[in-house]
Amino acid sequence: MPGTPTTTPLELDRRSLLAAGAAGTGAIALGLTSAEPAHATANPFFRHGVASGDPHPDSVVLWTRVTPTDVATPGSGLGSSAEVRWEVARDTGFRNVVSRGRVVTGPRRDHTVKVEADGLRPSTSYYYRFVHRGVTSRTGRTKTAPGPHDCPRGLRFGVVSCSNLQAGWFSPYRHLAKRSDLDAVLHLGDYLYEYEPGHYGYGSDNEDIRSHVPAKEMVALADYRQRHAQYKQDRDLQDLHAKVPFIVTWDDHENTNDAWRDGAENHQPDEGDYQARRASAYRAYDEWMPVRMGGSADLDDRTLYRSLKFGSLAEILMLDLRTYRSEQVSQPAPPAPPPDEEISDPSRTITGNGQMRWLKGSLRADRTQWKLVGNPVMVAPVVFPPFPNDVTSAVNDVTGLLPDDGLPYNVDQWDGYTADRRELLDHLADYGIRDTVFLTGDIHSAWACDLPLDAGTYPAEIGRAVATELVCTSVTSNNLDDLTNSPPRTSSLAVEAAIQANNRHVKYLNFDDHGYSVLDVTSKRTQMDYYVISDRRARNASSEWTASWATEANSQAIHPVDRPVDR
Amino acid sequence: MTSDRVYVVVVDGCRPEEIGSGMMPRLQAQRRRGTNYPRARSLPVMETIPNHVMMMTGVRPDRSGVPANSIYDRQERDFRELDRPGDLHFPTIIERLNRRGLTTGTVLSKEYLFGIFGTRATHRWEPEPVIPVSGHAPDQFTMDATLDMIEEFDPHLVFVNLGDCDRAAHSDLSGTTLQAARRAALTSADTQVGRLVDKLDSTGRWARSMLVVLADHSMDWSLPDRQITLQPAMNADPLLAGGTVKIAQNGGADLLYWTGPATQRGAAVSRMRAIALDTEGVLSVHAPGELDLGPRAGDLVVFCRSGWRFSDPSPGSNPIPGNHAHPATAPIPFFLTGGHPRVRRGVSSSRTVSTVDVAPTVGSLFGLGPPRGGYDGRPLL
Repeated sequence: MPGTPTTTPLELDRRSLLAAGAAGTGAIALGLTSAEPAHATANPFFRHGVASGDPHPDSVVLWTRVTPTDVATPGSGLGSSAEVRWEVARDTGFRNVVSRGRVVTGPRRDHTVKVEADGLRPSTSYYYRFVHRGVTSRTGRTKTAPGPHDCPRGLRFGVVSCSNLQAGWFSPYRHLAKRSDLDAVLHLGDYLYEYEPGHYGYGSDNEDIRSHVPAKEMVALADYRQRHAQYKQDRDLQDLHAKVPFIVTWDDHENTNDAWRDGAENHQPDEGDYQARRASAYRAYDEWMPVRMGGSADLDDRTLYRSLKFGSLAEILMLDLRTYRSEQVSQPAPPAPPPDEEISDPSRTITGNGQMRWLKGSLRADRTQWKLVGNPVMVAPVVFPPFPNDVTSAVNDVTGLLPDDGLPYNVDQWDGYTADRRELLDHLADYGIRDTVFLTGDIHSAWACDLPLDAGTYPAEIGRAVATELVCTSVTSNNLDDLTNSPPRTSSLAVEAAIQANNRHVKYLNFDDHGYSVLDVTSKRTQMDYYVISDRRARNASSEWTASWATEANSQAIHPVDRPVDR
Repeated sequence: MTSDRVYVVVVDGCRPEEIGSGMMPRLQAQRRRGTNYPRARSLPVMETIPNHVMMMTGVRPDRSGVPANSIYDRQERDFRELDRPGDLHFPTIIERLNRRGLTTGTVLSKEYLFGIFGTRATHRWEPEPVIPVSGHAPDQFTMDATLDMIEEFDPHLVFVNLGDCDRAAHSDLSGTTLQAARRAALTSADTQVGRLVDKLDSTGRWARSMLVVLADHSMDWSLPDRQITLQPAMNADPLLAGGTVKIAQNGGADLLYWTGPATQRGAAVSRMRAIALDTEGVLSVHAPGELDLGPRAGDLVVFCRSGWRFSDPSPGSNPIPGNHAHPATAPIPFFLTGGHPRVRRGVSSSRTVSTVDVAPTVGSLFGLGPPRGGYDGRPLL
């Protein structure tokens, strides 16, 4: 749809205007249970919505951004300091306020507000809002985690990744926001993209359904801040943030493509010092996301990997697989695969030693039945069979392989760091750690896999599965049919079948659809429902269920389920 | 006198996932019907005798005196199995129920289990016929005896060990028929438990019965080239030379005992630890106190990694691929079923449970309080 108007930071719509009227009276309509909740994007002070995240049993992170004057635009460094009040209540009318506070923000932190509301009760829904100079933000809803010794009957999470604003509308967020059964949303990375307009848009022609702001690749701190601000003005994303707490990690595009410890594929020498760029990306992320980096809502620590515990039922271990990793192995000339001695070199790491120690210790501690690992890039081994050249090119593009050389491994995911994967999977086997489920994004396609000790001998005892992996597809980012210009579920089917034939532990693969997933966790099993949207071009795309896969407790094996969980 | 009945059925060496594998439909149905505990674990050392003792005492080995199957007995200066009634120092739920005027029965397929529980139960079955290599009675005979005991004496508590699954893994030395033997054993165990369920149902006992179905440990398999022999390395060390280190081999765990001068114990144990940790296939080394094992476990407990086994004192000492006692073999099936109103129906629980919780659970159902000093486990009812 060439020429589609872009969403600008100050774009208003009818519903926003209605909401702004309510906000002026300090009695904004929440509308959280309606299909079309009210919006506050036109709120003069709170133009970027509200959000919550990282729920603990007694606290949650609350976030907003205040625009005290018109000059205080994101990334500008302009505007005065501003005091913002926040309050948390059990009711939408805020008659029963249980936690409140004041905070002063300003241009040094891009006028973002991030606080930890504590003194809350476990497994409880709360409503929160911010107030500046008598004007109230829209009201958000959040929910605390169960108490440390509680045995919740179930947990339910939305699962998303790879939301590229230029490639389409965020309908998956809208459909998740319509649900009232979610405890949180897990965003597994690529929450936003660094590219300039005209680059990495919709389909093989890179058409921009919407154009990025600023109109250049984000490199400087101001760029990152403006891009975050643009995404935070998406109505669907705002609604979802206002409805449920987020639990996030980053992949590479929050910084730049194929990032590693000291560089990135999409960082060139003329873009300045890489570490300075990364520091800007991380700073903006900490400012603009409802996440506890370094364990708190303060902005003084950029440690992103962390644990969130939900009673005795589940612990979510969110990984950071970009900050500490060794450089991806270089790609040899086709048709040679990357040298095994490099991808399996034990001195190379995807987690870094500290994070690996923490991860192994957390898994071994067995604090909960289910160990859900928020895993930005795929961990299951995948061997790519030979395809015709044009197909190989598209497959590589989707899955992250850069050159069109038909490599057998995606060296940007755990396949490129097999020593770390071996160490982790052996650890699961050595300590009899059960019910570990990797939840993954990154590759713009939906997968469900057993995670074998040895894919070559799986499912024999020596190669048995020790965990499972469920991969959600992209919100909008291109996948296979987008790049081959094929109708959905046509040419990709043969590719999927060939990959599964070469990887027996891969039970489900959908290379074509965009959408979201819903993860339902009970003591009996963990189930992922895969939903797809009709068209990411369409502002109001529909959504439908397409598949469900589950792993029974103690099985380390996935199986298909014939229907999604009841809402 | 109460009409309540409890049957504790141990499917020896069963992995939790095997119940859902399709080979054990009767057990799978009962697991769904009752209360399942997917996080259940065997406790160190993950061997048969200590975990059966933990089930019946509710306390850890440092209080029961039974940390492993095989120990080095310092008084006798020899290796031996803990299979004597006097090896168990703590009152079992069996004796405690007897003192309350209730009756109990043990139907244990393995000779060493029959040995350690001795004459504690009101009614006892000595395993027969016993297969010479394995030292256990086949499940069909064990269940025959169980049903006969119920029919004839109807004890309030019956403690049953079905040994085929474990022994099928241990006895297969070639490895070629391992999977087939294992499958046959799983199917057989399922059939036998089904016979018990049918018996209780057909005789009207089901409504007042609680079945505790679990394993004592899980099972791991090692390849021929993945075995660990620590004894030669210990003997080769100048400080440890002269046979001063005794190693009680327990499959996936070695118990190391310093028998040299007491004045050298600290330095010697440090050397023993260093040598063990430097050996390929070793997972971890622990002081027995860290694992609540007590002094009978020696000076150090060494665990192997998944897929490995110990073979001490020599490489030929342990030719058996099926293996347990190490942390890889901690996950076990564990569920409660039966028609007793205190059994919750159709529930899966995320709480942690272990073999040491059996006695408190049995005691709770019969209204029996904790023993002196309390349980180490917790009642599940």
